[in-house]
Order: sequence, then structure tokens, then C-alpha cells
Amino acid sequence: MSADAVRFSDERLTEIAALVKTYPGAQSALMPVLYMAQEDFGYISMEAQKMIAQVLGLRLMQVREVVTFYTMFREQPTGKYLLEVCTNAGCMLNGANELVAHMCETLGIKQGQTTADGLFTVTEVECAGACGGAPVVQVNNVYHEKVTPELMDSLITRVRDGGAA
Amino acid sequence: MTSLFINDQEVEVAAGTSILEACRENGHDVPYFCYHPELSVAANCRMCLVQVEGWGKPAASCCTPVGEGMKVITESPALEKDREMMMEYLLIHHPLDCPVCDQGGSCKLQDYTVEHGASKGRYSEPKRAVVNYELGPFVNTCMTRCIHCTRCVRFADEVAGTGDIGVLNRSDHMTIAGIVEEALESELSGNLPDICPVGALLDKPSHDVSRPWEMTHHRSTCTQCPNGCDIQIESRADEVMRIQPVENSPEPWICDRGRYVYDAFRSDYRILAPKVRQDGELNSVDWDDAFAKASELLKDKRVGILLSPDWSVEGQTAIRLMRDELFPNAHVAYDLHRRDMRPFAFEEGFSMTTAQIADADQVVVLGSDLRQRLPLLMQRLRKRGLAGKPVSRIGAMNYRTNMDISSDALIRPRDWFGVIARAMEQVSVLGKTAAGFEAWIAAVPDRHEAGKILADALMADSCALLVGEEIRSHADAAALIQGLDLLMRACGHAEKENDGRNLMPEGMNTQALSATFGDVRVSAGDLFAAATAGELDALILVGSDPLGDGLFPSAAKAALEKVALVQIGAVAGQVSDYAEVQLPAAAYSEIEGSFINMEGRIRVANNPIKSLGQERPLWKVMMRMVQVMGGAVPVVNLTELRDVARQKIPALAGAWQGAEQDSVLIAPARNKGVATVPRVQNSSFTLDVVSRYSMYREGAWVRASKALTEAGRIHALGDVLVHPETLSSSGLAEGENTVTTFLGSASYNIAVRDDVSPGVLFVSKRGVAGDLSDVTEASIAGGAE
Amino acid sequence: MTISSDPKQVKQICFDNINVPGMNTLAVARENGAYAFLPTVLKDFSSSKIIDEMKTSGLRGRGGAGFPTGLKWSFVPRNTGKPIYLLCNADEGEPGTFKDRDIMRFDPHLLIEGMIMAGFALGVKDAYIYVRGEFVHEINVLNAAIKEARAANLLGENILGSGFSMNLVVHRGAGAYVCGEETALIESLEGKSGRPRFKPPFPAVEGFYGCPTVVNNVETLSTVPAILEHGGAWHAAIGIPNNTGCKIFSVSGHVNRPGNYEVPMGTSMKTLIEEYCGGLQHGTVPKVIIPGGSSTPWLTAENYNVPLTYDDIMKAGSFLGSGAIIVMDETADLVALTRRLAHFYAHESCGQCTPCREGTGWLERVITRVENGQGTNDDVTVLSEAATHMAGRTICALAEGAAAPVLSLLKHFPEDVQACLGENAA
Ligand SMILES: Cc1cc2nc3c(=O)[nH]c(=O)nc-3n(C[C@H](O)[C@H](O)[C@H](O)COP(=O)(O)O)c2cc1C
Ligand code: SF4
Ligand code: FES
Repeated sequence: MSADAVRFSDERLTEIAALVKTYPGAQSALMPVLYMAQEDFGYISMEAQKMIAQVLGLRLMQVREVVTFYTMFREQPTGKYLLEVCTNAGCMLNGANELVAHMCETLGIKQGQTTADGLFTVTEVECAGACGGAPVVQVNNVYHEKVTPELMDSLITRVRDGGAA
Repeated sequence: MTSLFINDQEVEVAAGTSILEACRENGHDVPYFCYHPELSVAANCRMCLVQVEGWGKPAASCCTPVGEGMKVITESPALEKDREMMMEYLLIHHPLDCPVCDQGGSCKLQDYTVEHGASKGRYSEPKRAVVNYELGPFVNTCMTRCIHCTRCVRFADEVAGTGDIGVLNRSDHMTIAGIVEEALESELSGNLPDICPVGALLDKPSHDVSRPWEMTHHRSTCTQCPNGCDIQIESRADEVMRIQPVENSPEPWICDRGRYVYDAFRSDYRILAPKVRQDGELNSVDWDDAFAKASELLKDKRVGILLSPDWSVEGQTAIRLMRDELFPNAHVAYDLHRRDMRPFAFEEGFSMTTAQIADADQVVVLGSDLRQRLPLLMQRLRKRGLAGKPVSRIGAMNYRTNMDISSDALIRPRDWFGVIARAMEQVSVLGKTAAGFEAWIAAVPDRHEAGKILADALMADSCALLVGEEIRSHADAAALIQGLDLLMRACGHAEKENDGRNLMPEGMNTQALSATFGDVRVSAGDLFAAATAGELDALILVGSDPLGDGLFPSAAKAALEKVALVQIGAVAGQVSDYAEVQLPAAAYSEIEGSFINMEGRIRVANNPIKSLGQERPLWKVMMRMVQVMGGAVPVVNLTELRDVARQKIPALAGAWQGAEQDSVLIAPARNKGVATVPRVQNSSFTLDVVSRYSMYREGAWVRASKALTEAGRIHALGDVLVHPETLSSSGLAEGENTVTTFLGSASYNIAVRDDVSPGVLFVSKRGVAGDLSDVTEASIAGGAE
Repeated sequence: MTISSDPKQVKQICFDNINVPGMNTLAVARENGAYAFLPTVLKDFSSSKIIDEMKTSGLRGRGGAGFPTGLKWSFVPRNTGKPIYLLCNADEGEPGTFKDRDIMRFDPHLLIEGMIMAGFALGVKDAYIYVRGEFVHEINVLNAAIKEARAANLLGENILGSGFSMNLVVHRGAGAYVCGEETALIESLEGKSGRPRFKPPFPAVEGFYGCPTVVNNVETLSTVPAILEHGGAWHAAIGIPNNTGCKIFSVSGHVNRPGNYEVPMGTSMKTLIEEYCGGLQHGTVPKVIIPGGSSTPWLTAENYNVPLTYDDIMKAGSFLGSGAIIVMDETADLVALTRRLAHFYAHESCGQCTPCREGTGWLERVITRVENGQGTNDDVTVLSEAATHMAGRTICALAEGAAAPVLSLLKHFPEDVQACLGENAA
């Protein structure tokens, strides 16, 4: 992506201007704006961070601190489908570790990696706040509960055949 | 007040004090890393734990306020175990490389490990890897040693105002990192290694040169700017290794200029032996031959004397004695930045201390790049800004300050009249007036809206006016200062205890200079003009470098081409190309002497480092010169010399008799009853010229320093700057353009910036565009000449 | 769908309408009583009356610390000239907790109504809901509900003609457990890294942008409408003194019917697990019960009958916390579970306090070695000391939470640890 491409659209900029007004200070809009950047550009590159600093009148360091503190802001691209498996207590007690192992085997990748076709990234995440439905897998932040290896396999097959997750 | 018990001792401290500060005030040792008296509290190191009776868990003393009747315990087996564990946590990822670390010997981590640590750490897992980052010419990083106390981050935010150091990531991946282009955007960066309690941030210029315990310490005063900070010179084998701030001084910090200039002490630019020009070359000779040559050039001649303000009071007094004995008709100049020599209603020097300025209801900066001029005062204003107190500013450029200025106006130097007249009218309407207002206003045809900023600030109970170089070097400065004086009187800011009139001086010792030379003083420009006109035979330059500094380089050049030059000084400067004779005088690190800063505060240095070469204290050189040239030697020792100085400045007596530091302040001179009204201005030029003072370029010492020259390169702006409108309104573009002044026309590379006032030609790199320093007005035309 | 309600209870507080289809729409919510009492509150209740009712109700914060809500509100200085902010803590990050999510996605208007009432009592103009970043669906539901409420003049300027105005904004977190801590939440909402602030000053005095700020949990705020409608005394009569009202318990782990159950305080743990959750997956008595989220010390079979109150659980050696009960039967590998939780805290430590930053990682590495059969008895000592000196010596309680599983394991199941050490035990 060339540096020129990392620009918010005019509609975005209007949206940001309105957003800033909903907070006592412009810096509060940083997290929502980072999400916008992630949505628009796929991930938050250094160019995007510089651009955001400028848009919100912040120092680059203020943006960097926030991008690197929160795990949901990504500085690297991921696969088209991000499969986030909770392996914390509730899910672990209900087979999450076995589930991750199975998914990695099906996809032929390790935890944290992306498949060669760029379709899937698998990561373990911390408690998703849905322990009653353990084990929980988020697919691009859509919750799937009481997930079995079979359910995951069919999702993967569906997507590989060009369907939706 | 709150009373509490610390280790069974009953103590009283101000309500709201932290337990840690209460302990420090009362001599109870509590270990800490992240706490720093000048920075906000972070409470993250958790080393400062103490016990409070009745509390289930130990408390972090730095962030726990005292309570009435509280019983605090700072020593117990349980606390020792806690401290031992804290040390163990901290050392988990530490490389334990003390033998090769510059901090060794002055490291809190090392000290506490000895004091509180267990004999052996139990961590056996891999240590984390950390990358270093580049912070420019003054600071080295070795981040494996970082203990994440965040002092540097808070320093960058709160003191330097740059915010370029921050905390990335979290958990034990948390790292301190800097985002800088080439260097920290700070003139205070050298303080970072000082506040880092471990060896993560280190002083780059003194890297690996010596260990703290090998150093000898000398108390002295920095003469690199009128702030005159207390400094501690650290030397090894009589070589300066490091300059550091002094604990419990008025300022806990010093700036990079004052700290890193010391490489100039040993540079090739030093004058370390008497020299005489022979066949076009300056050659070393012995003192007698040099004096013989000086005598030949000067004896019974018409001479002019130019000196720099950074000599000690004793040195200056000796110059005066030499003048009176040998050249009783000679004029003396010492200010390379003042064009208008008529008496100012308030002369150079501060009526307030920097602490009072920081506390004033209002602070107005008039025409000054304060951050470059007085970085330490700027830092105080920044702190004031963080506390929500206003700082307003009027001037030719929105000089970068790293703080939010509450009201800011860009004006041309010729607009000052309109600004002041506008302010006079506004305060008059509110019933504040002074005799002389009307005549002053009547002499000014225009009004400038920026006057509102000034008038608004003046309505406060206390208002510190910081009058800067743009006004002081103005051709009609006396009138402007008269106008400001009237305003201050009208608004009640000229009374004894509430005097807000501060005129920023060019260098050190201002108060002594005007007392010593007031009656024989001329402008440097007039001195050079007299020389050029054939009214003088020779110039004696004592430490001044008018070719490299100040507003008269062209005039100085013309003069030096005409008359003989005898140069006396410690560092050569550009003028040495013209010197027939050079006499070495000792540097400020090498003498016993007294210094007065802009606030009028006196410091006496009496523990100098040894001379490097044959140089002698200036007063001895002067007395020898008197003797050689057949005069009667007026003083033979420092005591006699000081007796003479005391006659002119009685307040010095206290300082020399050991009065408590900071108790003696010398007030700047005031000229009551002058009534200078603005002159009528008729200019054929369209632009006003303002030249930039760069702390990394100005001053012969600084130009002799490699470290500061490198910093100057990094922080340089374009050569000549104007506001984009200034060019576009005449249909011109950036790049080569012809600039016409009273000196003629020449081609300059003109760049644009929004923060320069329209109508101003801003000379930001003197030397490159040196020829423009002499002028106050210019016009631009298209294309190269 | 993971919600279940107590079939035996006539009136539930937060979950009364949780199973009503379409409850997230304003129309259905109104049919079921939402906002019915709001006009009365706005018209007839004074700020001090509301705070008094809250005090009388005995409601204690449902976010974890259990601080009395009415008392917290009464600490807010009212005439500083600064705005007062209300922040709803919907970060729901404590492992085991998943109750707030159900309120937000199924009955968002309950929370909104509670916030309007709280905001009215405190003189708030701008209120925010800080929702953990993963809850995208819940955020969408909340935003839609807020939009409807605003259109109906339940939010915005001059609410229902009362002269009271309040804006409500949903703010999305981004994956940081520590942002559930109220001062970290404030930092985060200010657009910074979520690093907790030391106290004092407390948020009630100096919080969001330095202004007086109240932070309350979703469940806490959702309880407000019922208390104001039925009276503080009504609420105080449910449960037992000092532990009043109902509480939602999120039960997970080795139970047959995991889920959220709102029961009166004082119900016994055993009743909850056996009668509501369908008992254990294996065996009859749990091996470990974590009663208040992963940060609370473990209870064992010995405490199976403990009444679900703040005081009783404290007496048993743990905390009620957020009411997240993680149940483990005899099949649980406790060393592995402890290692997993150690990883969680090492990952989530904000990094500022020395013992937490360094200690959490240290614990994780050592317990991992122990789990892999490479541990020694010295390692056991290290685990114990490193955990002990983290707890209570830091800015926030995360470090204490990190220490809890390790110390619980060492205290209650030393034999499980010893079994892992194997040949290296000496
Ligand atoms: C590490 C940590 C995480 C926390 N996470 C949450 C959380 O996710 N949700 C919550 O409501 N409170 C959480 N809390 C408690 C809050 O700090 C605070 O006590 C609570 O929001 C107050 O609301 P309440 O009085 O309504 O309970 C957490 C505390 C700590 C120390
Ligand atoms: S205890 Fe841990 S999470 Fe809490 S403030 Fe300290 S470092 Fe951050
Ligand atoms: S000095 Fe108190 S925590 Fe660092």
C-alpha cells in the first residue's frame, strides 16, 4: 500500500469530526478512529498512525502507545477470516485446547499464523465473556458458542468453497 | 499541617504531603526509583513501600498522603523482605553488566541491590530482548537496563514538553521508546541521563570516558546564557569530563548548551598561548613579546574597546581599570544586539525572580524565542502552562515552545508602536493611565489589534512582562520601552514589590556591566563606524566575536579591515583572522570569580580547574598590560580588585562575605523621567528583518563545540524564511530571490513557513545569510540576481 | 443462547424480561414496563431522594468490588463547576463473567433507563458505556436502542419535558482486561493506554478528564429502575442484610447447564449448582469452585454449601467478586489450569507496577516448567514468594488476582504440584 493510499475518505473525516464532539477531548476519539482505520485499510500501518495523529492533532507517540497497548489493534494484516479461540478457564475446561489443535491441523498452520491462501488466521485469545457457551470461537468478532471440531470444519469448508462464514 | 509519627518520631508536615516526602523532609530513608521531586508521581516502581499501623498491606509511600495521627514504619523485617522481592523482580530481566556500565558507581539499582537485594536472584528463564533507540547526539540508550520507572517519559511530557518518549506495549513486553526524527526536540535532553536512575539512558558525549568515582568536582556558574545556572564541572586530570546541574539550585536542570559546550574547552579554537601575527600567520611567542607588540599597536593611540558580558565581575572591573589607566577617552561596547543606546526606561535585567515569574497571574512574552534564549525559564513557563496558567505572546514568529500559548499574535517589528498604542487606549478606557500616554499615543498613527492581548494581561493583579530581543534590538527601542514602561506604571506593575518589567539581557552580568561601564558605553555599531571612519587606530576585543555574533557583522568586518586588532580571550572566534596580537585569558571554568545572572543573583566560584596552557585570569592580563604600557597598576590582588568593584556595586559585598546564597539580588537599572516618543517612520523597504538566535550557533564557545555544532545542524531551519503570503502577494515563489537592503542587493534562497509574520524576512541561519544581520529592513524581488 | 432464569422466583430484577422476544426494541420494552416509571422519577424525585433510596436498598456494586452504590454516589462533589460524568463499566473481562452481555443484548433499555435515572440523580450531562471490544453485536444492539430512545426523547435534550438533558455514547474497548478496572477504564476512555491510576484521588472526585466521575457496572445500573420503582426498602428485604437483592451468577466449567442465573443473595452454592445448573459433569462434589471470577481465591468441596453472599464467601476465604462461578470436577488438571490463568494475567498486566509486570511473567514461566515436569521444590518456593509479594503491593488489584490461582493451588492441592515435579522434586 503506498503512503498516498492511507487517507481517510471525506465521509470518514466528517464522521470523525462529529465523533470528536461527543467527547470532552479529541484524544478520546482515538480508539474509535483506530477501528475505522483498521476497517478501511485492513490493519493500522505506521503511515496510518501518522495520518491519524495529524487528523486528531495528537503526537505520533500518543497514537503508538494506544495501538501497541490494545490487542485488538493490529499493525499487521491478518487472514480474511480471523478465527479467535478462547482458551481461558471456562473454555479450557470444555475442550478449547483440543479444538485449537484440531483447527490448526485442518488448516495446516500454527496458532498465530495465516493460511497461504490468506483466508484464515487462527489465534488463541483471552476470555471472550461468553463462558456459558464454552468453547467459544469468534469469527471476525461474531461469536460462535459450544463449538465442536465438526462445526469448525464445516465452516472452513464452506468458506473455502466460496461461501460466507 | 498534619502531624504523624514516623518510626515513633512525631513530625509535622503540610497537609496533603505524601508519606515519602514527609520521610525525606524528616531524614527517614525510604528507597525509591520512580519518584522524582520535579516530576509528577507515577507510583509504579513499588520500591517505596512502608507500613502504616492498622493497614493490612504495605503502602506505596510516594502516592499515599499523610493522615493525622498516622503511624508510619519505614524499617521492619517484613519491609526488608518486600524490598528484597522488589529488587528480585527488577533484576529478572536486567543484564547485570555493572562493570561495563557508565552508571556504575552512581546507580540506584546497584546501591539498592547492595542494600536491599538478596545475594542471588532465582530467575533462571530467558531474559527479554529489547531494542535500543536513537535519541540524537546527546543521549545513548541501553534499554536492557531499563526498569520502566517512566521518569524519562514524564520528563519529556512535563518538563521538555516534547512528548516524544512514551510507553509501548504492555505486560513484561512493555518498553520505553522514543520517536524522534534525528534528535529529541528538546534543548534540555541532557537531563535525561541524569534522571534515569539506572544505566538505560546515558550521556553520549561522556560515554565510556571515566567512572563517577574518578572525578573531581568544581562548583561554577554557566555563562552560556543570562540564566547563569549553577553547574558542577567534573574533571579528571584537569580535563573537563562532564558538566552537571547542582543539587538544590534554583533550577534542577541545565540546558544542553551549558552542559555540552565543554568540548570547546579543549578544542583547537582555544587561545592557550600569547600569539603575534608574523608574515600573515599567528605564531606563539612569550608573554613579553606579545605585550611588546600590543604596546606598539596601542600606546598613545585612539582605541575602542569591545568586551563580551560573560567575563566575571572581577574581569570586567579590571577592563575598566585598564581603560581608565591607559585609554581614558576610549568608548566601550559590550552588547552586540542593541542598536539604540539612548537610556531605556527600564534597562536590561529582571526585576522578578524566575520563581516569581512562574507564579505571576499573567506572563506576556514580547518578541522573543524564549526557548532558545532562556531554555530554563521556558521550562518554568511550560510547567505553569500545564497547571493551567496563561502565557501570552506577541512577536515576529510563532517560535516553537512545546507548550500551548494562550494568546498568540504575529506582528512585524514596525507594528510594535501600534500594539502599544492600542494597549494604551484600551487600558485608558478602563481608567488606567499614566502621564505621558497622550504624547506617546499621539506620535503613533496606526493601531494594531495585538495590543488587546497585552492590555488584557495587564489588567491582572500581577503581570510579568518579558521583553525580548525583537524589541531590545529595535532601532527605536528606547521609545518602545518607554511605551511599555508607561503601560506598566498605568496598570500598577511598576511598584517596588510588584515590578513586572523584565528586559531580557544579551548575556551574563548585565547589572554589573551597566554599573561598571554605563558612563562610557556606546553601541558596538557606533564603535565600528568610528573605526571605519578613521576616528580610531585600534580595537581591543576582549572575548567578543562580532563577526560570528550579533547585529553588526558587516560593520565589524569593515572596521577590522581598517584598524589594528588586539584580541584578548579564551576562545578564538572568527575575529582572530584579523588579530595582530592574541593574549590568552582563562575560561570561566578556570577562574575564581563572581557572576551575576539576569535576576541579579550572585554566584562566586572559588574552586577552578587548572589552566590548560599559559592563559591567566583576565584581571591579571589587564594589570600586566597596564604595567607593560607604563601605567600605574591599580590593584595587585583579588581583594583589592573586589574593593574597586564594590564601590560601584555595593551589594556584591554581601556575596563576598559569605551571605546566604540567593539572599543578595541586584536590581536592574531604571531611568526615571526619560520621555522618549516614537520617531516618525518612513521606510522605502517593504519587509522588516528579524534574525534568529540559535542556542546551538550563537557564541564563540558554542561554535567551537563539535557536539553543539552537530545539534545545530539537526535543529537548523531553512536559511531565510517568510510567510507564504509575503511571497504570493508579490507574485513570487519559494527559492532563489533577490533581497535588497541598504547594503545592496543579493540573492538568497527563500523558504516559506506559516509561523513567520507576514511582512517579515526571518533570517534563521546567520552566517549563511550573515550579511542580513546588520539590516532591519529589506525588500524582495523575483528571481536570482 | 445461554440465558436461563430462575423458574421459581416471581420477580427477578435484571432478568425479569430477559427471555421476552424482541425486548431490545423500544416498543416491546415499553409493553413490558420499560420507562414507565421514568417520568415519575424525573418529575417527583430529587437527587437526594434517589441517593437515599439507593442507600436504603443496600445495593452493592456488581462489578467485583461490592462497594455500596448509594454511598459511592454520595461522594460526588456537586458544586465544583466541573461537569460530572457517569461511566458504565461493560468491559466484562473477568474470566468466567458473562452476565452483562446478556443484559446488553437482550434488554438494553433496562440499562439505558438505569443510566438515565443515575445520571439524573448525579446531574450528569454526558454518560458513556465502555463495552469490551469483542462485543460487536452488543454494541450494535445498544446503539440501536440508544437511537430509538433518543428519538423518543428518552435521551438528549430536555428528556420528557423534565428539563433534564443527557447524552449517552457507547465506546468500544480494544482487548485489554485491565480496562475493566475503573481508573484504567477512564484512561482508556480518554484515548490512552489503559493503565490504572493510583488512588487517592478517587474517580468520584477526580476522574474522567479530571472531573467528578461515577463508574458503575452494567448490572448495578440495571438494578436502579427496580429500586426506584419499588423502593429501597423493597430491595433491602430481598437477600440478607448487607447482602441485599438478587445477583446474577455466571456459572461455567464442569456443570451440565452453564449459564446466567439471577437468584436472591443467600441462595447456597450447592443449590445453584445442583438445582439450577444441573449438577456436575463428572462426580457429585466439585473439586474446585472459583466463586467470583478467576481473580478470586479458590474454594473447595468443603465450602460447597456456602451461601452466596459477599460476607459468607469472604468468611470462606474468597470473594463474591463479579459472581462468576467456575466449577471444576475431579477431571480438572489444576496445574494446567493455573498455568493458563498465569498466562492470562501475564498477558493482561498493564505493565506499570514492578511486581505485576515482572511477577506475572515469572509465575507463568515457572509454572509452565512445573507443568512440563521440569520443576523443583525451589520453584515451588519461588511461586509462593513471587505471588505473595505481588498481592496488595500494586496500584490495582490485577496483581492480587494473578497471585490468587497460584496461591490457591499451592495451598489446597500441593500434592497435584508435587505429582508434576516428578523426579526433580528434590
Ligand atoms: C483488574 C480489574 C478488572 C476489573 N474488571 C471489571 C469489569 O470487567 N467490569 C466491571 O464492572 N468491573 C470491573 N472491575 C471493578 C471496577 O474497578 C469497579 O470496581 C467497578 O466497575 C465499579 O462498579 P460497581 O460499583 O457498580 O461494581 C475490575 C477491577 C479490576 C481491579
Ligand atoms: S497491578 Fe498490574 S495491571 Fe494493575 S496497575 Fe499495576 S501493573 Fe497495571
Ligand atoms: S517511588 Fe513510590 S512507587 Fe516508585
